[in-house]
Amino acid sequence: MTRALGGAALGVAVLAIYAWFLVATEVSLSRLLRGLPWMADFLRRMVPPDLTVLGGAVGAALQTLQIAVVGTTVAALLALPLGFLSARNVAPAPIFYPARALLNFFRSIDTMVYALFFVAAVGLGPFPGVLAVVTYTTMTLAKLYSEAIEGIEPGPVEAITATGAGRLQVLRFGILPQVLPLFASYILYRLETNIRAATILGFVGAGGIGFYIQTYLRMIDYPAASAVLLVLVAMVMGVDFASSRLRARIV
Amino acid sequence: MIRIRGLRKVFPPDKVALDGVDLDIAPGQFVMVIGQSGAGKTTLLRCLNRLMEPTAGEILLNGAPVTGAPPEALRSVRRQMGMIFQQFNLVRRASVLENVLAGRLGHVPGLPSLLGRFPRRDRELALATLRVVGLEEFASRRADTLSGGEQQRVAIARALAQEPKVILADEPTASLDPKLTESIMGILRRINVERGLTLVVSQHMLETALIYGTRIVGLRQGRVIFDGPPQAITPKVVEAIYQGGVE
Repeated sequence: MTRALGGAALGVAVLAIYAWFLVATEVSLSRLLRGLPWMADFLRRMVPPDLTVLGGAVGAALQTLQIAVVGTTVAALLALPLGFLSARNVAPAPIFYPARALLNFFRSIDTMVYALFFVAAVGLGPFPGVLAVVTYTTMTLAKLYSEAIEGIEPGPVEAITATGAGRLQVLRFGILPQVLPLFASYILYRLETNIRAATILGFVGAGGIGFYIQTYLRMIDYPAASAVLLVLVAMVMGVDFASSRLRARIV
Repeated sequence: MIRIRGLRKVFPPDKVALDGVDLDIAPGQFVMVIGQSGAGKTTLLRCLNRLMEPTAGEILLNGAPVTGAPPEALRSVRRQMGMIFQQFNLVRRASVLENVLAGRLGHVPGLPSLLGRFPRRDRELALATLRVVGLEEFASRRADTLSGGEQQRVAIARALAQEPKVILADEPTASLDPKLTESIMGILRRINVERGLTLVVSQHMLETALIYGTRIVGLRQGRVIFDGPPQAITPKVVEAIYQGGVE
């Protein structure tokens, strides 16, 4: 009986907190409904897209792709030592715990925030975008790597150890063959998400297609903005398609 | 060849797996270690090459200390003892030949091996050991495309590629059916007879142990309670080892 009462009290408390959140975020259905005509107007003005800006949009999309590819590959390499150092079954405890803490700390800051930081540090352009992608992706990949390493079968590792192999040889022949295909799949997956992340890097001056989207929207040139968006969607879908095909072949 | 004195292994907090084992194993013996599950067979084998660290006691291989050996000396000990496992423990995604070449890791120069390069002599030796187990035509296949019996033969080839003096086999046939058991044990016997290798094999099937072993060591609760030729095994001994219940 007291348990049921306690449960009910907890339920009421959760509902109250949720209601508070709704009020605090000014959620309003009527406001949404009043905004609908504006949205329709917005969409109507976007068609037909202004195809004269396609050239510039494709160039900017290419830069976004370049930022994502360079950032992801550099991060994939940097994450290797970090991944091993933060795997419980490979690294000794005095290294493992600080390494994990480091990863969790820097992983809680998003690519976009790093972009603001690096734009301030090295100036505008695609380079701060690359740095932002590298920083965030290194941390996330290291975390994924370490989980893959922790999930390996111990048997083959033992068998290699039993041959009289050295530590590095055990790593190379017992552990790497088990984790490399997983690593490759994680890298491709991160590449897909980084393409999306890199599209908005331009909003803060860190290069790529985001700059065009923001500029055309500010200039109220909706047909141009929609043309850029079309290029963006095509690029993201293309990369997703190629990457998921590749990933299916690896694992 | 192998000298074991007062070997103890205690798993924290207080599970005694080996309780003072003394054994002398001479070159060329085919030693079958029998006993119920939990009697300490696996622990004994894994302590011999220190995949598991003994709690107390001494192990010598040809007069050289195994217990307390520093990393380099331990690698040398392990190189001289090939090991075969119940679950084969091949690297599944690697090719059969790569798995066998792993047996050469204790011999080949370190840096080139890390790049996947092995001297010609070692490649030839690996192929030769595959021939011994009759699988040379499988060399380039991925290990996980082979059947269980074939995988265990690859594991034997890997152990032979070490050019060891001793082979430790921990329940090598427990995951295989009776026919494959016969084939695997037959290969081990051939290695023992033709190459004069010393074999220490744990075996939960009493009949199999008696057929292939030249010496039977019966463990119960971490102690050696029988040590002699298979002919000396009487129903009474069996009773004592298995406490009335043969597995």
